Parts: sequence; C-alpha cells; structure tokens
Amino acid sequence: MSGLLDRRLLLVTGKGGVGKSTVAASLALRLASAGLRTLLCEVNAGRHLGQMLGHPEVGPDVTLVEPNLSMVDLEPDASMREYVLSKIRLERVYRAVFENRMVRYFLRFIPALAETVMLGKVMWHLRQWPDAPGGFDRIVLDLPATGHALTLLGVPQGLVTALPSGPMATEAGWMLDYLTDPVITAALLVSLPEELPVNETLELAGALRTRLSVRVGAVVLNQSVPSRFGKADRAALSGRPALTALVQAYEEDARRTEEALERLRSVDAPLVQLPRLVVPQLGRGELVALGDVLAEALR
Amino acid sequence: MSAPSLEEVLRTRRVLVCVGAGGVGKTTLAAALAMRAAALGRSALVCTIDPARRLANALGLTWLGNAPTEVRPDVLAGAGITLAAPLQAMMLDLKASWDELIERQAPPGQRERILQNRFYQTLSTVLAGSQEYIALERLGQLRERSEVELIVLDTPPTAHALDFLDAPARILDFLDNEAARWLLDPALRASRLSLRLARWGGGVAARTIGRIIGGDTLEELATFLSAVSGMNEGFRQRARSVRALLSSPETGFILVAGASPERREEALGFEAVLGDRGLQRDGVVVNRVQEEPPASAESELAGLEEPLRGTLVRTLAETRALAERDRESVRVLREGMAPAPLIAVPRFSSEIHDLGALWRAGSYLLGEAVIL
Repeated sequence: MSGLLDRRLLLVTGKGGVGKSTVAASLALRLASAGLRTLLCEVNAGRHLGQMLGHPEVGPDVTLVEPNLSMVDLEPDASMREYVLSKIRLERVYRAVFENRMVRYFLRFIPALAETVMLGKVMWHLRQWPDAPGGFDRIVLDLPATGHALTLLGVPQGLVTALPSGPMATEAGWMLDYLTDPVITAALLVSLPEELPVNETLELAGALRTRLSVRVGAVVLNQSVPSRFGKADRAALSGRPALTALVQAYEEDARRTEEALERLRSVDAPLVQLPRLVVPQLGRGELVALGDVLAEALR
Repeated sequence: MSAPSLEEVLRTRRVLVCVGAGGVGKTTLAAALAMRAAALGRSALVCTIDPARRLANALGLTWLGNAPTEVRPDVLAGAGITLAAPLQAMMLDLKASWDELIERQAPPGQRERILQNRFYQTLSTVLAGSQEYIALERLGQLRERSEVELIVLDTPPTAHALDFLDAPARILDFLDNEAARWLLDPALRASRLSLRLARWGGGVAARTIGRIIGGDTLEELATFLSAVSGMNEGFRQRARSVRALLSSPETGFILVAGASPERREEALGFEAVLGDRGLQRDGVVVNRVQEEPPASAESELAGLEEPLRGTLVRTLAETRALAERDRESVRVLREGMAPAPLIAVPRFSSEIHDLGALWRAGSYLLGEAVIL
C-alpha cells in the first residue's frame, strides 16, 4: 500500500449521519489486515464502533480487539486523568486536587481543555515509535461531525495563538506540527449524494485547508448510485408503468450522485465512491468489502 | 384512550419541538408541519436552525434573519397552495442569539467585557449543550412575544440525545453552583478572586492546576465569573420558564427518525429519554421510507431482453430489499413508540426543496396519504 494509506494519522469526518464510522472502521480493518498495527479511535461516541466490528464495547483504555487492531473511545475525564498523571505522576495529588468537586467545576470552564486532553492522547500514541509501548503504525480517528471536528482539530492552533506560553501552549505546539505535516496526517471527508452533506464537505475542505492547514487526503462519496439505464432502455419500457417508475426513481438517485460528484470535484483531493449497500444491518463482511474499495481507490 | 392524531396535535398545541439525529430531515418535516397547521387555520411559525439553501429560498428566507418572516401568500399560491392562516418562517442564528441574550441581561458596564472574554466564546459556542440551550431560550422568548398560534421548532443536531433536554440545567449549573458562589462571595472584589484561588488549599491546589492549565487562565476565569455573576438571577428565571414551557400541556414533541437500522436505534434511545422525563410525545415520523414496488413489476419483465432484463431484475431486488428493511424498521419503531402515532413518509424521488413537495410530505403527516 502506498499513497494516502501511508499517512500515519487518518482523520475521518463529515456531516452527521453520512457514514463516518463505517468509513473509519473499514479503513482500520483493511490496514490491520495488511499487517499494520492500527489504532481505531472514537471521540466520546458511546462506543458503538466495537459493536459494528463484532467486538465487545471498548472504553477509554486502548484495547487490542483482534490481531493488529486496537480500539479506544476517548472520554474527557479519562483523558484528563491520564494527561495530568503524566505531568504530576502522583495518583494521590491527582485525587486530592482533580477529583475535587470545585476543581472539576472550574475545569469545565477552561476553553478547549477537554479537546486538548483527548486530542493529546491520540497525538501521544502518534508520537511513539511504532515498536515502542503504546506505538502504532497507523491511527484512524473517527471524528465527530463537522462543527465539533473543526473545534477539536482547531484546538492546538487556538492555544498557540491565544496563549503564547504556558503548559498548554507547549503541548499544543508539537500537536500542531504533527497535524499539519502532510506526510504524517491526512483527512478523509465523507459525504452523501444530498445537498446539505455536500455543502458541509465543501465548507469543511475549505476550513481544513485555509484555517487549519490540515491536508485533505480524499473525499469519500458514500451511498453512491451509478447510472444503469440509458434513453434506449427507458424507451424499451413504454407500456410498463411499474418498471418505468422503478427506473425513474433509480436514475433520480444516480442523477443526485452525479450532481454531488460534480460539486465535490472542486475539492483538490482524490474522490472515492462507495456503493449504496442494501443490507438489514451493516456487518463485518460489508466493512471488509468497503475497505477493499477504499484501499483500491487510494492506492 | 388513544393518542391524538397529528391533525389533532396541529389543531391544539402551541409549541411543537421536532427532535432527532442529524441528517434525518427534521427541518423539512418541521416546515411541512407548520404549513399544514396554517392550512388548518392556525397561524404558524417554523423556526429552523440550518436549512438547506433551496428549502430556505423556497420559504423566502434569503438571509439569516433571526426574526420571523411571513411566507408570501402569492409565492404559496404560485405552488398551488392556499393557507387559511399566515405561515411564518425564521432561521435561528445561535451565536447572535447568545450575544443578544448577553446584551439584554448583562449590566451595561459589563457587556463588552463579557462578549470579548475567551470564556464567553466557549460558553456560547463549544460548551456541551450551549447551542441547545440558546435554541430553547429563543423558543421561550418567541412563545412569550409572538402572536402565532403554533410554533414549530427544528432543533440543532445533537451528538447525544440527552444534551438537548438537559441544556437549561447544565447552563444553570455552569453559572450558578456552589463552587461559583464560593468564588464569587460578594465580600470579595473581582480583583482579589485570583488571590483567593491561589491561596486555596494552602496554594497546592492552585499551583497544581496552574501547572496543567497555566496561571493566567485561572485569573481570566475569575474575571469572567465576576462579570457574569450579576446575570445569574436572570438566567435562572429564563431556564425555569423554558423548562416549564417544555413540560407544559401546550407543548408536544415530534420524534423524527430515519429508517436505517442505526437511525432506528438512535430513535428508540431518544424515545426513552423523552419518556423518562414525562414529556408529551405527540408522534414519531419515520422519514424517507422506501415504498414497495408494485407486484406487477415482475410480470412486466416478460418479453424484455438481456442485458436490460438482468439490470432490471437486480434493481428490483435491491429496491425490494430496501423496502423490506424499512418496513422492519417501521414495525420495530411502531412497537417501541406506542401509543404515540407513527407516520411513515416515503422517500421522494427528489429532495424536498419546494413548497409543493412540502405540501405532499404534509399529506402523509395528516394521514391523507398512507404507506405502511
């Protein structure tokens, strides 16, 4: 594998409901099956990725769920604890200070603190050599929907600007270097053939490029419907109202796919289509198949 | 006693809140509900958060107004729609609503200090629940001031269903709890707050926190808290009245769900949350349900040649599989949501962006047309 899948940190985002988790899980499965030690991260998402992959729930501790594939659901409190302990090293002091009700209250006020410690955990793993304890060859981060994703990714830059010095700025500095290095990090933007998701993808691509300097590695149009019926086919169906209606509805979806592709081409990144799958419940088999499509297209 | 039909709901409620995950079509259905209420003779306002541009244009919302605008009768007539009462629409600008709230409630000398403070930026944009809070707060304000008989609120997409209903409590807790009161002891002047923080716990606590987040940040926080402290009573009152409005018998919730299995689970989770809080569930709308192709489709295949025939067989099988999946979702949701009425709205062949399409969606909502 080369190209996009060589990036050590893959960020997956898009509008709510477009299939971000499906894409993230497919990618992670594919990377792991290629022998790369892979970490799949969700952000405080209620741990549903594990279920999708047929594993028990994984919480805020990094857990190996199958050969080469580890998972974690980042949670603000657990990440905070881990971060603070890495700084002060004394469990006793942590408990006395950070588990105090009033301190917890103040911490909620601190702009970007929850985001800093969660993103910091991902970046810490990225910083380790792949062979070192806690190190991974690849990290796939299943980000929240557009707005929250931009907030999360914008945290290091915001901190570097707002607080030129101090402990949070130091952390933010190296995180920013990793996030904006196109050799290390790339974002995959997931979209659907509908107006609003495409609007969001375009806005997101612009914000990543101009505001955050994060490389957009690919745009993924999920649930694509390729055209199947031409004019001659439609003509052959005259006098067959049920089939005519079927073809018309199908081709309307195909037209929407074309329209979305047309608009998404304005993003300067490879455009990958994932097919619309009709199954009662997405399972591992579908994720493997989608992973193959992604790997092939992003080679 | 059976639950009232959606028509009954549109005739009686004063507020309807459309809830559900992002991307299921809440905005469109909120607009269709308001339009039908107006058709039934009740003046209605649909309050949207982030409508598709074409839908916004169709409703005549060409700029982010943050104030109600009437959907022009001649535009409606152009789409063949005559309403018995006026229909208004507005787009909520959440950030502007926060700024307006501060401008209204803050002591004059403090306004600029608050609006410029970094903590205010967090409070008004990224703090969990703040968007939901301001949407509800604006709803309360509109309900007090607006003459319209029904307000239909489209809600911001929530990552976690709970955020929405807990928003007033969380914001209040944020501004007004034991810790804040301790910090803001009136005997202390603002300039000495950071001193008090520094001394707290013999200085160990403040030093430790300072090592993690920086000492300047603590000081800035103290300044912010003292600036907003005068507003707490105002916030408390507003949050109380918003909570009262949500649980009032005049207010109902419409749960909008998608038909895919993942969306179905989200909807069931949300239903449980509404139920736990004793909120009035007026209906469940499953949007974009695939209709079953007629049985005659298979017999129409006779006499067609390959490869067209094969492609049709495949397309027909996929469509039937999708319809089957959606029918199962509707069945599960109907069971899980009873006794609230469940309404299936079909996938239309194009996105609903014009007034005529909104009207057609409305005919399913009112039971004039039915699938499943």
